[in-house]
Order: sequence, then C-alpha cells, then structure tokens
Amino acid sequence: MPAGRWPGSVIARLTARKAARSGVLWGYVFGVFVASTALGYAATYKTQTERDHLATTFGTNAAIDALIGPARQIQTVAGFTAWRSLGVLSIVGAVWGLLAATRLLRGEEDAGRWEALLAGQTTPRRGAAQALIGLGVGAATLWMLTAVVTIAVGRSSKVDIDVGAAMFFALVLVASAVMFLAVGALASQLAATRRQAAAYGGAALGLSYALRLVSDSSTRFGWLRWVSPLGWVEQLRPVTASRPLVLLPIAGFTAVLVVSAISLAGRRDLGASVLPDRNTAEARTRLLSGPLGLAIRLARPTVAGWAVAIGVFALLLGFIAKAAGEAISSSSSAEHAISHLGAAGSGPGAFLGVTFLMVALLVALMAAAQVAAARTEEAGGELDNLLVRPVRRWSWLVGRLVVATVACVISGLIAGVCSWVGEASQHSGVRFTTLLGAGFNIVPPAVLLLGVGLLTLGIWPRAVSITVYGVLAWSFLVDLIGGIIGLNHWVLDSSIFHQMAVAPAVAPNWTTNGILVAVGLAMATIGGIAFMHRDLQGA
Amino acid sequence: MGAIAIRTEGLSKRYRTSEALRDLNLEVAEGEAVGYLGPNGAGKTTTIRLLLGLIRPTKGRAEIFGLDCQHQAVEAHRRLAYVAGEANLWPSLTGAETLHLLGRVQGRVDQTYRDELITRFDFDPSKKVRAYSKGNRQKLILIAALMTRPDLLVLDEPTSGLDPLMEQAFRHSMHEARERGQTVFLSSHILSEVEALCDRVGILREGVLVDMGTLSEMRHLSALIVEATFDGSVPDLSHVPGVESVQTEGRVVRCQVRGTVEPLLKVLAASGVHELLSREPSLEELFLAHYGAGPEPEDEPPRAS
Ligand SMILES: Nc1ncnc2c1ncn2[C@@H]1O[C@H](COP(=O)(O)OP(=O)(O)OP(=O)(O)O)[C@@H](O)[C@H]1O
Ligand SMILES: [Mg+2]
Repeated sequence: MPAGRWPGSVIARLTARKAARSGVLWGYVFGVFVASTALGYAATYKTQTERDHLATTFGTNAAIDALIGPARQIQTVAGFTAWRSLGVLSIVGAVWGLLAATRLLRGEEDAGRWEALLAGQTTPRRGAAQALIGLGVGAATLWMLTAVVTIAVGRSSKVDIDVGAAMFFALVLVASAVMFLAVGALASQLAATRRQAAAYGGAALGLSYALRLVSDSSTRFGWLRWVSPLGWVEQLRPVTASRPLVLLPIAGFTAVLVVSAISLAGRRDLGASVLPDRNTAEARTRLLSGPLGLAIRLARPTVAGWAVAIGVFALLLGFIAKAAGEAISSSSSAEHAISHLGAAGSGPGAFLGVTFLMVALLVALMAAAQVAAARTEEAGGELDNLLVRPVRRWSWLVGRLVVATVACVISGLIAGVCSWVGEASQHSGVRFTTLLGAGFNIVPPAVLLLGVGLLTLGIWPRAVSITVYGVLAWSFLVDLIGGIIGLNHWVLDSSIFHQMAVAPAVAPNWTTNGILVAVGLAMATIGGIAFMHRDLQGA
Repeated sequence: MGAIAIRTEGLSKRYRTSEALRDLNLEVAEGEAVGYLGPNGAGKTTTIRLLLGLIRPTKGRAEIFGLDCQHQAVEAHRRLAYVAGEANLWPSLTGAETLHLLGRVQGRVDQTYRDELITRFDFDPSKKVRAYSKGNRQKLILIAALMTRPDLLVLDEPTSGLDPLMEQAFRHSMHEARERGQTVFLSSHILSEVEALCDRVGILREGVLVDMGTLSEMRHLSALIVEATFDGSVPDLSHVPGVESVQTEGRVVRCQVRGTVEPLLKVLAASGVHELLSREPSLEELFLAHYGAGPEPEDEPPRAS
C-alpha cells in the first residue's frame, strides 16, 4: 500500500506493522510449542497402554489441574496437546498481549511519537482506535501462524485434528492474547507511564490466573472459573468437546474494554493519565546519599508490587492446598518425577511442590525486571549522572545486584511464610520450617538469572532484556513440557528451574542450590569485570 | 601559565563504522575558558565522554589535573562537574531529591550558592523530573553542576532548551565561575556564547582538531571585512593587492583584506570614498570559513548605474 494514500491512518499502519512483526515471532513460538507437544507425545507414548497409564497418573492430579488447567482425554495425542498447549500458551499469550498493547499504546505515547502523528490529521480518540486496529492485526497474525502450524500438525496421522477443529483450537490459543491486548489498552489510558500500565495489566492477569487456579484446584470453588477470563478460555474446551458459545463472554469482555479505552483516550490529554498522578512530592532524601541508597529507592515500588503479588499468590496456594491435596493422595504415584510436574508424594505438600513452580517463576520475573531496570538506567543516560561524579562503576553495579538479590531472598521468605499462613488456616499439617525451606528453595534460580543478566550487561548490553526474558520464557516452557514428552536432558538442563527441587514435596537440595547461587554470582562477577572495561552504551 | 587542567595525548576513538576522533592533542590551562566547536558529528561529545571516562579511547590518553581519565577517574571527578546537552535524570525523583543525591554523591555543595542558583534560574524543585519541561530539566543539571563549585566545568551544549532569559543567567554564572578561577571547557553551537565566555577556541572537523587559538589570533590570521560607499563612480578594487571577494551593490563595495590595508586605502582615497566601515570577522564567519561552507561571493556582474 502506498505510504501516502491514507495519511489519516498512519497510526494504524505503524502499529499494525510493529504488532504484526511481534505476532509473527510469537506465532512461530506458539506453533513450535503445539507441534513439539503433539509430536513429542506421539513419540514418547507409542502404545495406548502407555497413554492410558499417563492419563491415570496426570489426569487425576489436582495440583497439575490447578497449575495449567484440568486434563481431559490426555490418552489421545489431540487431547494431550490441547490440554498442555492451552495451559501454557494462554498465559504466554496474555503476557504477550499486555506487553504489546502497553508498549505500542502507552510506550509510543510516552516516547512522544504520537505528538507528531496526532498533530496532523486525527484526534486522540481516533488515534487510539487506529492503534487498536493495528493491535488487532497483530493478534490476527498470531492466530494465522498458530492456525497454519496447528492445521499442518493436525494432518499428521499420528495427531489427527481436522482443519476446522485446528482453526478453532488456534483461536482458543490466542483468545487470552486478545483479551489482554484489550486489558493493556485500557491500562494504557488509566496509567501515567508504560511501566505503570504494565503493572495494572499484570495485576489483572495475576488475579485472573489465581481465580482460575482456585477454581480448578477443588470442585468446591468450581464456580469461580466463570469470573476469570482465563477460566473462560479453559471452558472453550477445544478439540475434546468444543463449546464455542463461551466465546460470547470473551468477545463481550474484549469489546467493553476496547470501547472504554477509546472513549477514555478522547477524554484525557496526550501524555496524561486518567487516574490521578502526582507530579509534585515532598522530598524524601533519607536514602539518597549514594548508589546503594538510590538503587533501593528506585527498586522499592516495583519490588513492593512483586512482593505483594508473590505473597497473595502463596497465601492462596496455601489456602487451597488441603482441599487440592486430597485429590492427589488418591491418585497413583508417577514415574515422571523428572520434571516439576512429576507428582511426587501426596497431599498438600505435593500440591504445593508442583504449584511453587509458579511462585518461582514470579520471583525470577522480578529478578529479570531488576536487571532490565539496571540496563535501562544505563541506556537512558541516568547512570551518566552518577559516573561523571566520584562514583565507581562497580559500586553502582554492586548496589543494583545487592538490592536485586535481597529482593529475591525477601520474596522467598514471603512465599514461605504466606503459604504457611494460608495452609495453617486450613490445618493441612505441613510444618512451618518445611514451607520456609520451600520458600528459600525458589530463590537460587532467580539468583542464577540475575547472574545471566549481569553477564549479558557486561558483554552485550543491548541484549540484556531479550536475554533475561528469553531465558525465563524458555525455562518455563521447557519445564512445563520437558519432563512429560521426554526431552533430552541437555535441553532440560538449560532451564534455570530444572535443578530446583520440588519442595515442599521433597526436601530442598541445599548443595545444588549453593551451586546455582555460586554459578550466578560467578557470572555476575565476570559481567561486572566486563562492564568495568567497556564503553557506556546508549539505547 | 599555571597548572594544566586538561591534557590529551594522541587521543583517538574509533567506532565500528567511523573514526569519531583522531589523534587529539589538547591542553587547557587552569583558570582558562576554552570553547570547543565543530559541526554536528565532529566528535565533540566523543571527546568529552572520553575525558569523563564514560568511554574508552582506542589510542592515546587524557588527563585531568594530572589524573588519568581512565584509571583515576574517581579522583578526577572530585574536581569537575559536567553538564550534558540532554538532561537524562531519574523520572521518579523530584528536583530537590535529585539535587540532594547529586550533591551527596559529589561530596561538596555550596548550600548558599545552590539556593542562589535556584532563585536565579527560577527553578521549582518540588516537581518530579518526569513532569519537568526540557528546559527545566536542563536547569536542574546546570544547578547540580554549578552548586559544587568545581575546579573544572565540562559543558556539552549546556544551554540547549533554555530561554533567552535563562541563557543570560547561565552566562552570568559562567562569569562568576571565571572570576573564581574555575576552568571552563565549553562545547556549543551558540557561537555568541562561546565568543562571550571563552579565551581560546578549538575547532574540530571530522574528528580532527583543525584550529586552536585565541579569538584575536584567529581573527588576525583571517581577513578584515571592509565596506566602502562612494560618492561617484565605483573603482575596480579586484586588482588591489590583498583584496579578495569583492562584491559591488550600487555604490557600495564590500571586500575582504588580508595582510596590510595600505594599498587599498590608497585606492580608496583617490576615488572619493564617502563612507568607510571595517570590522573583524565574527566567530560565526570564522567558523563558517573553517567548515568550508562560507557564503561564496556571488558571481554577479557589477551593475552599471
Ligand atoms: N556509540 C556510537 N557508536 C557509533 N558511532 C558513534 C557513537 N557515538 C558517536 N558516534 C559517531 O562519532 C561521530 C562523532 O559523534 P559526536 O557525538 O562526538 O559528535 P558531536 O561533535 O558531539 O556532534 P553534535 O554537534 O551533533 O553533538 C559521529 O560520526 C557519530 O556518528
Ligand atoms: Mg554532541
């Protein structure tokens, strides 16, 4: 399309181009995930007996049901693929939608790029509508690529999903992405900065996931799935027993959010937020006397947000552990204890052991965000202000590392204590020290990720963000599918979570944990030395 | 001459795609004010970031007050302050918090002078950095630099975004700094600013220092500009020794003279000159001449009247 033909649609086209590029990338990831799950399952479980055995082991495990949704017909390739892909990709898709929407709406606006565009032809309201159309193009790209791969895989005689079912399946896989694109769009209007918008959206996603998790952990809470967007996605039940009617609440939810986002965009100033944002503040200078104090001050609001999320989530897990654990003890023990989804042990401990992977993911996400923030401080030029004064490079870096590490340890402590509080309220009988140990057990992978991040900061600063989030996403995916479809142990080892013991189901391995921390610190040291000797680099 | 504030020896920086700075040898004495000029992309910011130890030289070295810019950066930084052309500060801190932090990190702050600067620059420190306009952010880093009363001020387009009133306040502060014997190293595109503040000027082009000297030295080497208005007919000046770029407009003749003006004066006296103006070239004219982009005399045939 010639660039000058519709000058009034420039925002739509720019957003569409960026969103589609991202949609293509993640469409591949979705496709590869679906394909590798289907083909991996078919290759690992060749006979029906093996598949039936898997179904009796995993199909009745309440912890796994809670973590990624209930398993249906996993004695078939199609059923297993639908279950596992949906459980994982609906979360990944939601995160994608949130980040894409906040980046392309609020991020572009913060960077001042909209000012130039809006000064031309169009109003803020139309600008927002155009950007949403662009995001829609991105979501459509994601769906198309996912559908193409799913159809191709479905044609294989081993998998056997017909074209219509495959397209519906792909639609279900991107449903959460679409809903959270809309959530991100609304949050972009409410918040004053991209980060704040992402935080609001993240809170909505966390709540939605938590409700879905509780609803699937025990039949007592089953009704909760109807108040969670992720619960609706699950109720679409693609491939096994499609229920397209559930698309109605999804479409309604999306439409309401989109309409509110567009109308709010017309009601506020460019660059301003709908929710009040304080532009003046009392000076609080207690911490501001050096790089360490500054690092604490800068990290405090985000770390506090993560800590609350982790605490609430752990409390919730503890609270439902007893009810969920009862379902586990009745199922047979698994041979697949090689992954974190292996159902080791029984009762509340087993439930918490499996679901703590999610808490570990949150702590690691927080660590990743801390490293990314350090890089942003360099890229944005804020760091220059310290380094042109009598501040050594390492004291800035150590300040950042100390704050991030302490934040991880505190998060582990909070996870342990909160899960115990929730669990004790139900008299489940897991000991406090056991849960405290399980809390600290999730810290080492996060420290390892910190090390990976700082190593990258030293030798390839522009790749910090993509590396830490990439390693994290990779680890999470590998851990969720690796054990079951029998991935090569080298691949499994590449996950930062793979060496982590399934505490509190089993006792933490402190030697392994010590090694993880040592490797992380060694990487951080090498990265620090490299950072000391290189040029500072802008964005 | 006193001690040396800045000294570079063969300082060079090569980026993957370009050679940003080639073999820079520079000396700035303590108490001196040096302007650092050059077209966009000449390597001024690169030089300054090398002096500050933010980037590593490919070759050569630099010293500030005899301290190596790479290995003794922290000691050197105790004695200097830097103002960038773009104020990138922590968006969530307020102006007052930023000043507090930067003062504490520097280790010394003249509190009364800081308050005076805040008044002079009409700066409201209670807002968050996020909410400041570009000019107000620039004021913030200017105050943060000046309030420490550093021995050396390194300034890279320090007034970008300031309104004329604040530009005035900046010049006032610079004069104060000079009176106190502080050294100034100023890179700027505002030539009147450099002309007003600096003793010496260095001109950088494509990473090479092409000229360095006091303004009067540089003026001396270049041509004097003469404009003469005649009563009657206009004589042909183009053959007079030392005279260049003759432009005739009616009865007004504009030309440049290199070396002695005697031959020109003789011709003028003989041809009934009515009005005679002469002046030294402005820094802008010097600058344009150096960049090779000077306004070429238009090849217009002199019109007979
Ligand atoms: N990080 C970098 N990577 C690659 N090239 C760079 C980098 N920084 C600067 N350069 C190049 O080095 C040269 C000098 O740039 P520099 O920023 O020093 O110019 P300057 O004189 O400050 O220009 P201006 O007046 O526009 O500020 C330019 O050609 C620029 O493109
Ligand atoms: Mg520059």
